[in-house]
This record gives sequence, C-alpha cells and structure tokens, in this order.
Amino acid sequence: MDEASDVMPSELPIERRQRHTRDRTTSLNSLSRFKSDPSKHIRPRSTLRNRGSNASMKSIGSETDYSEIIAPIPRRHLLQTSQSLHWLRVDTSSGDEWPNRGVSPVSASSVGSVFPNNRMGNRLSFTALMEYEGTAAGPSSTVDARVLEDDQGTVGAERRFVRWMHRNNMKNWVVPLAIAASTLVKWCIGFGTYSGHDTPPMFGDYEAQRHWMELTVHLPVKEWYTYDLQYWGLDYPPLTAYVSWLCGRIGVLIESSWFTLHASRGMETGGSKLFMRATVLVLDLLIYIPALYTFVCAWQGTRSSRKRHAALLTLLFHPALLLIDFGHFQYNSVMLGLTLFAINAFAAGHDLLGAILFVLSLGFKQMALYYAPAIGSYLIGKCIYLGPIHGTRLFLRLALTTTLAFVIMFAPFLPPFSPLSTIAAPITRIFPFGRGLFEDKVANFWCFTNVLVKWKQMFASREGILIKTSTGLTALGFLPAVAALIFGGYKTQLQKDAQNDSMNVSPSMAPAAPSSPTPILPLLPYALLTCSMSFFLFSFQVHEKTILVPLLPLTLLLSGAAPTDDVFLWGALGNNVGVFSMWPLLKKDGLGLQYLAMLLLWNRLIGHNPFKLYYGYFVGLVSSVVHTAIILLHLLEFAVTPPARYPDLFPVLNVLICTPIFGLIWLWSIKRSVEVSWAINGLPGKREKEGPSSAASGISATSSSAAFGHSPMRGETGVRATSLGYASGRGRGQADARRRALVVSAGGDREH
Amino acid sequence: LGDVSQSEVDILLLSTAFKFLLFPAYRSTDFEVHRNWLAITHSLPISQWYNDTTSEWTLDYPPFFAYFEKLMSIPASFIDPKIVDLQNLQYDAWTVIVYQRLTVIISELVLGAALLRFIRDSVDPSRQRILSASLFLHPGFLIIDHIHFQYNGFMFGILLWSILMAREGRKLASGILFAVLLNFKHIYMYLAPAYFVYLLRSYCMSPAGAIIPTRFISLANSVFLVFLASLGPFVLMGQLPQLLSRLFPFTRGLNHAYWAPNAWALVTAADRVPFAASRWPSVVKHLDVGLAVNESGVASTSRGLVGDTVFAVIPNIKPVHTFIITIIFQMIYLIKLWRAPTYKSFVAALTLCGYASYMFGWHVHEKAVLLVLVPLTLLASENYAYYKTFVIASVAGIFSLFPLIFTPAETLLKIIYSLIWGGMVLYPLHKQLYEFPSSLPWVLLESFENAYLYGFALLQVFITIFPLMTGGNPDTEFLPLMVTSVYCAAGLIWSFIRLSTLYITQQY
Repeated sequence: MDEASDVMPSELPIERRQRHTRDRTTSLNSLSRFKSDPSKHIRPRSTLRNRGSNASMKSIGSETDYSEIIAPIPRRHLLQTSQSLHWLRVDTSSGDEWPNRGVSPVSASSVGSVFPNNRMGNRLSFTALMEYEGTAAGPSSTVDARVLEDDQGTVGAERRFVRWMHRNNMKNWVVPLAIAASTLVKWCIGFGTYSGHDTPPMFGDYEAQRHWMELTVHLPVKEWYTYDLQYWGLDYPPLTAYVSWLCGRIGVLIESSWFTLHASRGMETGGSKLFMRATVLVLDLLIYIPALYTFVCAWQGTRSSRKRHAALLTLLFHPALLLIDFGHFQYNSVMLGLTLFAINAFAAGHDLLGAILFVLSLGFKQMALYYAPAIGSYLIGKCIYLGPIHGTRLFLRLALTTTLAFVIMFAPFLPPFSPLSTIAAPITRIFPFGRGLFEDKVANFWCFTNVLVKWKQMFASREGILIKTSTGLTALGFLPAVAALIFGGYKTQLQKDAQNDSMNVSPSMAPAAPSSPTPILPLLPYALLTCSMSFFLFSFQVHEKTILVPLLPLTLLLSGAAPTDDVFLWGALGNNVGVFSMWPLLKKDGLGLQYLAMLLLWNRLIGHNPFKLYYGYFVGLVSSVVHTAIILLHLLEFAVTPPARYPDLFPVLNVLICTPIFGLIWLWSIKRSVEVSWAINGLPGKREKEGPSSAASGISATSSSAAFGHSPMRGETGVRATSLGYASGRGRGQADARRRALVVSAGGDREH
Repeated sequence: LGDVSQSEVDILLLSTAFKFLLFPAYRSTDFEVHRNWLAITHSLPISQWYNDTTSEWTLDYPPFFAYFEKLMSIPASFIDPKIVDLQNLQYDAWTVIVYQRLTVIISELVLGAALLRFIRDSVDPSRQRILSASLFLHPGFLIIDHIHFQYNGFMFGILLWSILMAREGRKLASGILFAVLLNFKHIYMYLAPAYFVYLLRSYCMSPAGAIIPTRFISLANSVFLVFLASLGPFVLMGQLPQLLSRLFPFTRGLNHAYWAPNAWALVTAADRVPFAASRWPSVVKHLDVGLAVNESGVASTSRGLVGDTVFAVIPNIKPVHTFIITIIFQMIYLIKLWRAPTYKSFVAALTLCGYASYMFGWHVHEKAVLLVLVPLTLLASENYAYYKTFVIASVAGIFSLFPLIFTPAETLLKIIYSLIWGGMVLYPLHKQLYEFPSSLPWVLLESFENAYLYGFALLQVFITIFPLMTGGNPDTEFLPLMVTSVYCAAGLIWSFIRLSTLYITQQY
C-alpha cells in the first residue's frame, strides 16, 4: 500500500528540507514514516538527528516520548491493532523496494512525498485499507501485489488514475473530470466525418436525422410518417420524432436556413454540422451519463468508491457507442440511457417508473425491443416473487401504466387528435419487414451461413417462411433467459408470513418498494445480454450498428468485474470484436483513425491487453486467437486489394470472424444465467426473513461469492443477491455494506 | 531511461490516442507552411532552399530545421509523392494530414524522453512527475502543435535535454544541445544570454574566477562545429546574407496582428483608450480633451492587420528601444546569475531572460509564451511563491493562446482540455505547496491574485457573448481580442515582476 511509502525524507539533502520551514509535519505522515521504516522507531536518536531542523511540532517530539508524538492517530482503532499491522507495511522485507516501485508520473504527491503537509493524501482511508487487506491476505502478502499487477499491466489506466486522484484528495473530482474528459473525447470524435458525408443525392444517417428535424418542424404531425418516404422517411417511433422536433425548433431559432423544407436537403455547412453534433452531445449528457452514474451507484453500491469510479470510466469511454453516436452520427445513447434508467429503477424497487422508462426507450428507437423479453419476464418474475396478492396487484398496475404510456406516446396519431387510420403509418414504418432478411454484411447467423446457404435465393418467393424461422430461432434463443427469470421468481417466492406481516402493517403498502432487493435482480443483466444477442444473431433485418444493444449489458457486467475475472475477459473481447464488426461501416464513414484511437484508448483504460494469454481460461485463448486474426485481417486489407470476383471479400471475412464470437458470448451468457439462477434458487432452504443478523450471515455468503460459479452458495437470498454484483445504494446503509465488504476482502475477494 | 512505469505508458498511449482524434481538427496556414518546406527541401537542391519563392511561405527557419524537413520528406515521398510536389500548393488530402500530424506526435517523443529523465534523478520525484506530466500534456503544446500545427514539442524537448544536462553537471553537452537548438529555431536566442553567462561562469571558469582554458576552448570549438554543420554549406555557397535576411525580417511592426500580451500590449491599449474616447465627439467636447490624434495610427492597430503599429497618441517606438529595454532587464538577471551560477539559479535566469524578451521584444508572437512557461514549470515546485507565479503565468499564458484557435468546434475543445489540465496539475501542487500568507498585505495580495484568476471565467463569457450581442459588427470585432490581450498582459506582467523579485532577492 503506497500510503505508507513515505521513506523519502531521510533521503533528502538536509539543506533542501531546511528551506521548507513551513512544512507542518502531521502526525499521519510521521505515522507512515514509522510504518515504512520500523527501524527508525527502534532507534529514535538517529531519526531525531535527521528531523531536528524541522518544524516545531517535531522538536517538541524530540523532548517527549517519541512514540506518543509520532503516532497520535488513535491506535485503538480496529484497523491499526497489531493483528492488522501488515496493512501498515511493517514488513521490512519490502522496504527496499520502495524507491523502485513503479509509480505513475501523475501519481505523485502523496505516494513518496517529501513534504509532510499533504496530510490528506497520507490518510489511511478505509477503502484503501480494505483494498490492501484484500491483496495482503493473499498468498503473496510480503510482496506488494498491486505493484506486481502494475508491472504486469493487469490493472487498467483508469484504476491507476482513480487511485492517484483519491490519494491526492481529489476524490470528489473524479466523476466531474471523467465526464469532462469523456465529453472532450466525444466532441473530438465529432471532428471527423459522419455517415454519408458529401455523398449526394442520398447522403447517410446524418442526413436522415437532420431531415427528420426539418420535416417535423415544418409539417403537421399526421404527415410525419407519410411525407416523401423515398427520401429518408421517418421510420423511428414517435419519441424520436418529438425529440427531432425539439432539436429542429432550437435549430431554427439559431439559423433557420439549416432546416428549410426541401431547400436544406444535404445541408453540410460548418454551423449546421456543429449544431447537429452538439445535439447528440447534449442529449448524451442529459440522459446517458446520468443513467451511467445512477447505474454505478445503484448496482455497485457495496463496492469501494475507487472501484465504482473505475467502473464509471469503463462505461463512459465505451468505444462502440462513442464511435457510432459521435462519429457515424446517431442518437443511440438516448435509447440505451433510457433502458439503463429503467434497469436502475428496477434495482431501486421502482418497477412502475422502470416500466415507463422502458416504454420511453422503446418509443425512442424500436431496437430497445431486443431487451423487451428480458424486461418483461423480469417484471413477471417479480410479480410471481411477490406472491399471488401483491403480485397480481403489481401486474395490473404494470399493465395499466405501460398501456397508458404507449397511448400517451402515440396520442397525436390516435382518435381524438387524428383518425384511427393514421396509426397505421408509424407502425408499418417502424417495423419494416419488407426490406429482406439482412441488408449489408452483418455478423449474425443469417449472413454467416449465407456464405454456404444462399437464403435469399432459396426463399426468394417465400419470405414468410424466413420471417417465421427467424422469429422462432430468436425466441428459442432468448428462452433460457426468460425461463431463468420466471423460474427464479417462482422459486424465491415470498412466504405467507411475509405477506401477513405486510398485511398487518398496512394493507395498502406498495409492494413496489420492498425493503430488500428482488432476488432475481442479478439475473437481469445476463438476461438482457442473452435476449439482445439472440435478437442480433437470429432476427430479421439486423444492422451492424445494432451490436450496440447487446454490448450495453455486456459492458455493464464488465464494469463490475475484476480484471482477471472471465466476465471481464468476455466483456473486453465482446467489445473489441463488436467495434471490429463495425469496421466496414466506419471505414466507409472515414472514421478509421477514430476507430484505432478509441480501441487503443479504451483497452488501455480498462487494462486489457488483447494479446496476453490467460492460461486456464477458455476465453483467454479465444481472445488471443481472435485478436490476432483481426490484426492480420487489417494488415491484409491494408496491403491487398480484393479481387474483382469478390469485392466483398473483407466484409465477409469480418463476418466470419465476428459471428462465432457473438455466438459464444450468447452461449456464455446463458451459462452464466444458469449459474446465477442456481446460486439464487437452486438450494434447499427457502428465503429467511431479513433481520439484524443479516450482516453476520452475509459474511459466509459474500465470502463464498468470491468463488462464485465454482462452489455452491450458502446463506440467505437477500445478501446473496447483494454479493452477486448487485447492491442497493440506499436503505440499510453504507456502514453495513462496508462491513460486509471488509469481510469480503478478508475472505480473499478476487476483485482488487 | 530504463524502466518506464505503467502509468507513464498510460499517459503516452492515452494522450496519443487523443491526439489521433485531433487529426481532422482545424489547422492553420502553418500546416501548409511546413508542407511547402517538405516540398522545397525534397525537390530543390540545397542552394535553392533559401531562395525559392514559389509559395509565399518561404523557408525562414535555420538550416537544421531544413535538414529535419528534408529527412521527413523522404518517407513522405513514398507515402504520397504529391506531398513533396513544389507546385502542389494548398494540398490537403488525408494522406498529408495524417503524415504531418504523425510527424508531430513522433517527434514529440523527444520531449517525453527528456521529461522522463527529469523524473529519474530528481530531488523530489513525486512532484517532478506531476510537472513532467503537466509539460507533456501542456495545453500550449496541444493548441500550437496538435491543432494549430508546429513542432514546438520536439524543439522544447531539445531545450529540456539541454537543461537536463546542466542539471546533471554535463555542461558541455548542455551547451552543444543548445547550439543545436538555436540552429533549429532561432527564437531560442531569447534564452541565449543566460546560457552564455552560465556556461562561461560555471564551466569555463573555476569557482574562484580563473578561466580554465581547456574547457573554454572545447566549448567554443563544439559550438563552432555545430554552427559549421548548420551554416557551413550556405557560407560556402555565399548565401549567408540571403539566409539571414530570411531569418530576421525586420520589416514587421511592434505588435503582431493579435497583440501578444506583453508590455507593448498595455502601452498600445493605453494609446487606444484616449483614441476611443475621441470617437465620441460629445465625450471629447465635454471633457475638452485636445488630443493630437495620429490618423494613420487609428487605422493600423485596431483592425488587427500585420504591419507597423503607429501610435495615435503616445510617441512611436522603434526596434532599438525595445532592444535596449530587453537588454537592461536581462543584464540584471545575468549579474545575479554570474554571482550564483547554480543549476536552479540558471533555470530561473533562463526563464527570466525569455520572459524579458517576451515582455519587451519587437514583434513578439503570442506563441512565444511557451518560452516562458516551459522553463518556469521546472521551478514551480520550489515553494509556494514560485508556484503562485507559475499559476498566474500559466493561466494567463494559456488563455492568451486561445485566440489562435477561433473555430467554434475547437473552442469547446481548448476550454475543456485546459480546465482538465488545470484541475489535474494545479490542485495537487496547490495542496502540497500551499503556505498561509503571513501578514495582511499578503492576504490582500493573494485575494487579488485569486480574483484575477477567477476573472478569466468572466472574460471567456464576455468573449463568447460579445459577438452574439453585436451581431458580428466589424467595427467592434477587435474588442474581445484586445480585452483578452490586455487582461492576459496584466497577469503576465505581474508574474514577471513576481519572478524577478523572487530571483533577485533569493539566495542561491
């Protein structure tokens, strides 16, 4: 632990220290000096000689009992009792390593600081102690495990950055700085070209979004979905239209020529581009970033703030989303952010709010439908879990709210405002089954097998069969997730006494805000991944950009995993391959450089070295092979022009590399779902009632969670749910969570 | 260099990735200038380099930089022969952008290496790490090199190597490196007096004051050889006068188009104020101010054209005046350096020499503020007084570079980046170095300084809002620039006074 590394002062030339007479040697610093070099403590005289010239406090110290002055930190503190001294690095064997430690150039001050007045940096923060406990209790307690990690590069830049910030007393600045930095990166990606830049007459996605603003501002609502469909007719749900209208209004206020009907088609002036880019950035700042922040708070409440900050950084720089939204130009972050808000609401127990938010997400972009089975079955599972009475009540409320939300959203197209026939236009526009099985080269099952089986030719006149097959396969694909959620809800159903309790207390007490998290909650991210990946792989008319939808839950899972975990490896692999699968698109958009930069940046940030072999992990092997293949393919593409017979050679090779990985991730998510549901409900004992002893019983449960997936779980469900990566940031309080986390670390949590 | 820690690799990789994203960003005419130099050095014989006038952007850097361009033009000719086509003016294909931007990033590694070396044997590695990182990620370099386009990172890398050699006591190497640097870009002559005095006093003379002939001769020979390698071919071809006329064009005015925030900016502004008042006849009438307004001066400065600044009210200033003032100030520091030729004293004197030239020089460019900020950073962690000087100079200096980048998209970039940089660098240093002011005057001073620093936020708001309010009226267009210049000049001058006082009064 670097907090205690303060050996520098003795190595300083004395004249230098003399100049800093104002330095106030705080007790804490002296303590760390004591810690780092116990011999000094034993031989106080030599120490005194070195320190004699310093500030008054120390000279007092020289006259009185040395140890009393040198360590006025309350020693009675639990963390500083003799059993815990390995935290404090009394172990002299490591003392010599200090000067050689790899410390960051930005990591400075508190680490080896000569100047004692950075008191805060040297404070033994609780989390730091716990983190150190986690590493020190491991097999190699004499060697600084973290230094080793740093040297091996298994810890990402984000963790080093967060650690440095925390040590320099800038803990509260991590989140604002991270958001500012990610905003900066997003804005800079926007310097590049966008989809359809300078390619008349149709241009691309950028023009589509701009055209929708133009259209919604100038036309009555009824004509939105019917106006000149050949030129980028509106084919997203109404919320997109409303947002376009709002952006268009603002744009017209600034410069009306940007959105003149017809005349502005293909508008590519600098100001117009700037405005469009700014709308994406603002919507992202308003919706997606708060959603990420609340996710980290709601789902990772029991983790230390350092880990939460690192997780936030992982999510903020998510390369695939940044490249598509800010480079290619789309508003996916709004849809994803709304879904994320919905999940957060579920985690906080606000099911109705979550349902409304998810409807909004669906209303912004129909791709959110990929999540619908998981969300729907989670809510059904929750209803079952609450038991017949509360469950039915919740179900009815959900049904009502959802329907109402949809009706309100489509209200301008419904009877009081317009004839009923109007609603047909948006619906047929939103679900375009007439556009064929797939369009460009997409890394899904259909395009992959199309290399051997020419689906389109085989079923040229029988599209209906294909649609049915794809729907059936998709449903089969997400069935495990749905089953796991509903079955989980059934198995963990609340007992009668619990119902009676709540009946007795207050019959009208809303079941929507239970005191403990729903036990099936940890399944939700995996279910979202399974469903969306299944849609991506098997459904009809999939775009390569849609990989963003499965990548979101995958990245959420990754953000909560330790760098050596297989969740982390799958997440990193999935993201890299996901970005790679969009390479043909990005190349066409002229975003090759941004592609390279973002991959480099994000992998370095999370500390993922794609070419490192992780022995003992299947995924490690796969990862190495795939990344090598990707590099080779890029080199090949750079060096060789494809033969005239196969102009699509490289996109097809791209599909051939990516599809198996997406398939594997889909299978892996099912495996994990099974494991997690096993942990939640595969055990004989029914759920006990939450009680004051929960923290104590949580000890065994959480500590076994470290080896989760390999050993069966014991203990009671609520705490188990907490240990599975989920924790509510409210209610029973941080102290309790901290205590549990402490025990977790002591038990050798695999997270660092 | 030896072991490079993971976090140092982090900084390198993450910043490089970020700089990649800036490739498509705005670039100034300097980009075309350097492309043209690639073409000149590649397609013309050496005898024509300083004579060619195909493009208006003639070669006006010393020969080492020309050789450097020649070196870079070789790969360029393989990548895309059009880059080095002399007639292909204003070429801006993606290949040339990527290639030239990449050369900046790669050549900047010199800076990175020097900064790493600074950490290794530093007295206080933890603080030096912050300072090194702050220099490598300096907004000045980002704005000037990676957006505007120049090779300052590379050249300041050489300067820092030279300073590093001085720190390690290898003064001969230090002198040679500085001579090399001078032959890359002659603006570093601003710093030359400090080098001359320092090397003469501490290398060529014994502490007692006796000259050591062997050292003197070896230093003189080395420097001579460097200049021979650089200028030799041109001397042989008899082109030295032509070369020098390119390097020192004394036909420019006192101020650059945008007034660099130095003493002359304040003087010029002081000249403008009565003039502005005279434009409202009622005011003039009321105050009954009879000013002899020089009409040609009215036209010259306020419109921001390059050319002679003719003062409307104040007597005109000639190059010789600026030269004399600069020399007087530099003499003060050099005497101090002569008496205390230690490393720290040297760095301070170096900074002050650059600072005095920046403050009082003829036709100073705002980019030259890096000559002050870079060596000043090395002093920043000395104590709180130096730190505060560094903060004021850095904030004012970096803000004064903002007008270089005027496109709206990049405006957001420069502001956010500078804020992040400021937060990450200044906050930890402040925590470590802060000292309570000891008496009431110091408390007041500190409050004033802080108020000045917070004023930059208001200034930025003003600059942003003003054009919107006036609707881009060309008559008032110059006002935000002028206000920026004057406000930054106030901070830079104050910082200059602070640093001078500190240096003169402190014992070395």
